[in-house]
Amino acid sequence: MILVYFLLVPILASLLAPFLNPKRATHLVSISFLIPFMAALVSLFQFSSYDFPIMNFSPPIGEFYILVDPVSNAFGLTVCIISAMVGYYSFPYMIHRFEEMGLGEEEYRKYIIIYGVYAASMLWLVYSGNLILLYIFLEISLITSFLLIYMYGYGNRRWVALLYFVWTNVAGVLTLVGFLLTAMDNSTLAIKGISAVGMTAWLLIFVGMLVKLPGLGPHIWLPWAHAEAPTPVSALLSPLTVGLAGYVLLRMYLIDSSFIDTYRDIIMVYAIVSSIYAGFAVFRQTDYKRLLAYSTVSQMGYILIGLCLGTFGLIGVVIQYMSHAFGKSILFMTAGGIIASYHGLRDVRKMGGLHEYIPSISNAALIGFMNLGGILAIGMFGEFFILRGVVDIYGSNLMSYLPLILALVFIFVLSGWYSFYTLRKIFYGTPRGMEKPRISRYLDLPLYIIGILSIIFIFPPLITVLLKGIKAVIGGGI
Amino acid sequence: MNEIPMFAVLFLFPVISSLPVALAWIYRPGEDWARKLPYLSVFGLFVSLLISLNILFNFEEGFYSYPWIEDFNINFVFVVDYLSKYMGALTAFIAFLIGVYGLEYMRDDYRLGWYWFFFNTFTASMLLVVYSDNLFTLLIGWEGLGIASWGLIGHWFRDDDDIAFVGTQGRKVGPLEMSWSPSTGGWRAISTIRFGDMPMFFAIAAIYALTGNLDIHSIPWEGMFEEIGYVGTVALLLLFLMGPFTKSAQLPFSEWLMTAMTGPTTVSALLHSATMVAAGTYLFMRLTWYIEPWELNIPGLETIYLLVLFLGLISALYGASVALGLRERKVLLAASTMSSLGLMFASSAASFWVGEAALIVAFWYLIVHAFAKASLFLVAGHLIHATHDRFCSGNLAFARKMKVAFAVTILATISLAGIPPFTAYWIKSGMDGVMEHLVADGMLLPFYLLVIVSLIYSAFLAKFLSLNFLKGEAPHHEHTEGGQLMKLAYTLMVSMQIVLLAIILLHYEEHASHFVEEGFLTTSLTVGILVTASYLIVLFKPAVPAFSRIGVFLTDRMYLPFLNDYILPQIGWVVIRVVDACNRGVDFFFHTAIPSAFEALSRAIRSIQKGYLRVYMKIVAGSIMLFLVIFSLMGW
Repeated sequence: MILVYFLLVPILASLLAPFLNPKRATHLVSISFLIPFMAALVSLFQFSSYDFPIMNFSPPIGEFYILVDPVSNAFGLTVCIISAMVGYYSFPYMIHRFEEMGLGEEEYRKYIIIYGVYAASMLWLVYSGNLILLYIFLEISLITSFLLIYMYGYGNRRWVALLYFVWTNVAGVLTLVGFLLTAMDNSTLAIKGISAVGMTAWLLIFVGMLVKLPGLGPHIWLPWAHAEAPTPVSALLSPLTVGLAGYVLLRMYLIDSSFIDTYRDIIMVYAIVSSIYAGFAVFRQTDYKRLLAYSTVSQMGYILIGLCLGTFGLIGVVIQYMSHAFGKSILFMTAGGIIASYHGLRDVRKMGGLHEYIPSISNAALIGFMNLGGILAIGMFGEFFILRGVVDIYGSNLMSYLPLILALVFIFVLSGWYSFYTLRKIFYGTPRGMEKPRISRYLDLPLYIIGILSIIFIFPPLITVLLKGIKAVIGGGI
Repeated sequence: MNEIPMFAVLFLFPVISSLPVALAWIYRPGEDWARKLPYLSVFGLFVSLLISLNILFNFEEGFYSYPWIEDFNINFVFVVDYLSKYMGALTAFIAFLIGVYGLEYMRDDYRLGWYWFFFNTFTASMLLVVYSDNLFTLLIGWEGLGIASWGLIGHWFRDDDDIAFVGTQGRKVGPLEMSWSPSTGGWRAISTIRFGDMPMFFAIAAIYALTGNLDIHSIPWEGMFEEIGYVGTVALLLLFLMGPFTKSAQLPFSEWLMTAMTGPTTVSALLHSATMVAAGTYLFMRLTWYIEPWELNIPGLETIYLLVLFLGLISALYGASVALGLRERKVLLAASTMSSLGLMFASSAASFWVGEAALIVAFWYLIVHAFAKASLFLVAGHLIHATHDRFCSGNLAFARKMKVAFAVTILATISLAGIPPFTAYWIKSGMDGVMEHLVADGMLLPFYLLVIVSLIYSAFLAKFLSLNFLKGEAPHHEHTEGGQLMKLAYTLMVSMQIVLLAIILLHYEEHASHFVEEGFLTTSLTVGILVTASYLIVLFKPAVPAFSRIGVFLTDRMYLPFLNDYILPQIGWVVIRVVDACNRGVDFFFHTAIPSAFEALSRAIRSIQKGYLRVYMKIVAGSIMLFLVIFSLMGW
């Protein structure tokens, strides 16, 4: 139960933070996320699964409650650790950014409160036990991230922020309509009370979340937003926010899987095409952050694929979310490290041999890409369960589905290829005679903490309790 | 449960002991105290060696497990059996000796932290692969091998020293420059390996889905193969074997191995003897050991084993021929490794018809090859240090200054070539016996291929010896002093040939006596004499100018680099361009076309609201007329 009260800590801390100086505010906010992180971890170890009622509304809204189970704990602890680490990272980075924009350190007050609320809203989202509550946090996270891009982004930031706002609002509205239709059918929106989701409602929610995830087609907003957002925001946006669409779909699937069951093949093919398409797009990007954004699109394809693959696929979805979050947050922070060290350097063509000058960032990037490729990090399990799922669902008719299976395998190959291709282009090769910058510890240590976590997560006891817990919620096993 | 902590130390200690130097190099690179930390890393390797010897001599054969994810029946399961106990000790011993050698070889390197961290991870990963019975545990080691080899091959990432390149800079064949930098070498390795690992990963997941089990020894192989039928068996095993094929550089995945020579020589030595490339064949042997295909009657298995047999032999032939044409010291040895691996694959695959004996032959060949190849590489590294030249050079005068290296090369080459009565001869005799057995089954080709490969193999070994110590050009640069630690390491390494010879001839090992019997058969003796003849001829005539055109064809590795560096990337780039064009199209549609369409619409609507009466009159009149037209058309 204590976890529920700890969820309040980040909100209180963010409201308090503007009254402190930047350094203290950073520590306060980051530590305030580490507290629920520990609580979620403990809760994961206890396999706790319970509801904590907040308020009762008349139908069709139903009960608001906090939903604690291993799946929300898995998402929750990921959100917490990354928000905490990116929080530390923001401190030197945003101060630098404010200087660049000609703003004073005072600006940090505004920044830290929006940042805190943004991160906390995502944390609350995964513990929401009512779809309306969930939608509210979805919108809060959208508005706060919009503000951060609008105020502190790069390039034509106002245009990009608006674009981001429009796209995600389309996603939000479609989802809301879907939720409301569900409410009409079930006369409640409490997750435990919903028994069935109609096809139209499912379709609306699915399309809405597809825009947010994003799938092929709507993906086009994401490279803009991720590239032009200030890097700490990119480091939350890509690892955490977009993947939460996967969380929503997962929750809907657990309530009623009819839609996915009916259109499984179409969704599967779409997801695979989307993933391969984005994977290829990575190779030609010249902007490091944009490159990472395309890789996000490709990785989100995994989540959609996992959704189609039965219980093992769903386990894959949870692990894939965590692994992508760990990896991508590290990578965006390395991009930020390069930006901060070399006056906004983002053009991959001008990089090369950077390992010579910023070895600590380069090594962190290696860990980040290992996460994306599922090499010796928790992503290995994600890939494994997705592959296991594909055998369960499509294995019985091997010959006719062989192309599909090979395409899926190729996605994993491709993600490894673009990872190491990029690494080589940016960090290895002949050094370009740049200066060796002094890197603030805030700019590299958080990356290693996430990296180490992602590696120790493949060993017992962490992986043991994680998988056992997820299995208890989703089912599956031998 | 005393064994499990022992295994944990075996795998973890090398990695942990290399962390200090890795961390020191991130934050304080190049300081004096940091240059002493590699001793700690080598100590870690030494501890692994002790444990692996303890396993060899004191552990009971069997399986040791520790819970991991019990709910999914995935556990750490380690196996101690005939294959793993020898292979583990071999790996740890070779890694330790190369580690000692590396203390001197890499002393002044600019990136020790990276080097030692990945070197030790490499060793630990291989040990994990060797002792794992659980396929998922094995995969962790497998991926560790991949990432560590990438790190080590691309170790000299600055790409600024010609000594670390492969190929000749400036030489172009068509659009392709036949020269590869270390960072390219690393990328080629990891991209090839990734291409094989993922299908293998899928196959493992499929085995898991079909049987709910991941322990090699307890998977009901026969039942599974029967359940999935012929096509299923072939598809599953083919996907599985993509992993071993790419790791062990069989055709057409051999290119990465050649450019893996961009790494430091110590890396090449380790990569080519007991880790990485050996992992592929070792895994194939381990699977075969427990599937026991000779006991089963599964048609799908026959197809697969036939494929492996011929793929192995053809790769062996390719590797040996290419080695004959190459003049780069390390690349020559790399091609020869590929050839040996082909023989190992072929011989293990022959077990389908011959039985377990063929597997034993392949395994013993792996051991002999590992020690010999490691010695040759370590010598090659010393030669490169001494002459500052990647290409073969050296004459008798030079050999007198490098007596130890010279002697070691002689011993290693004759031991490996299969010249009676040295070590590999007895193993090769066993292999001749295996292939002859196939002749009895109606397959003539394998035996002849084996003989041809053996002849070429001994020829290029002689060429290596001759061009480096006897008849090569005089080196442009000589720096022959020092190198005590290096000499010690390769002398110890090559002396293992004598130990092995003693084991074989004195019947210390149950299977070895069988090789001795085979060695006295007429066929084996004939092949042995032919091999000796080929060795001697090439020793005295290492280069034949008349064949230089063929030589160039072989030096260019039969133009296989084109597949890797030109054809496949070109296909990729075409796809990438299409994707990029689509992205631009979608971007334009959503972010330019739709907004500007709305803008135009808005402008149009606003343009009529100007307040002039005549505009409104026109609209009203126009609409009425339009309605009338529509109504009349609808016939009302």
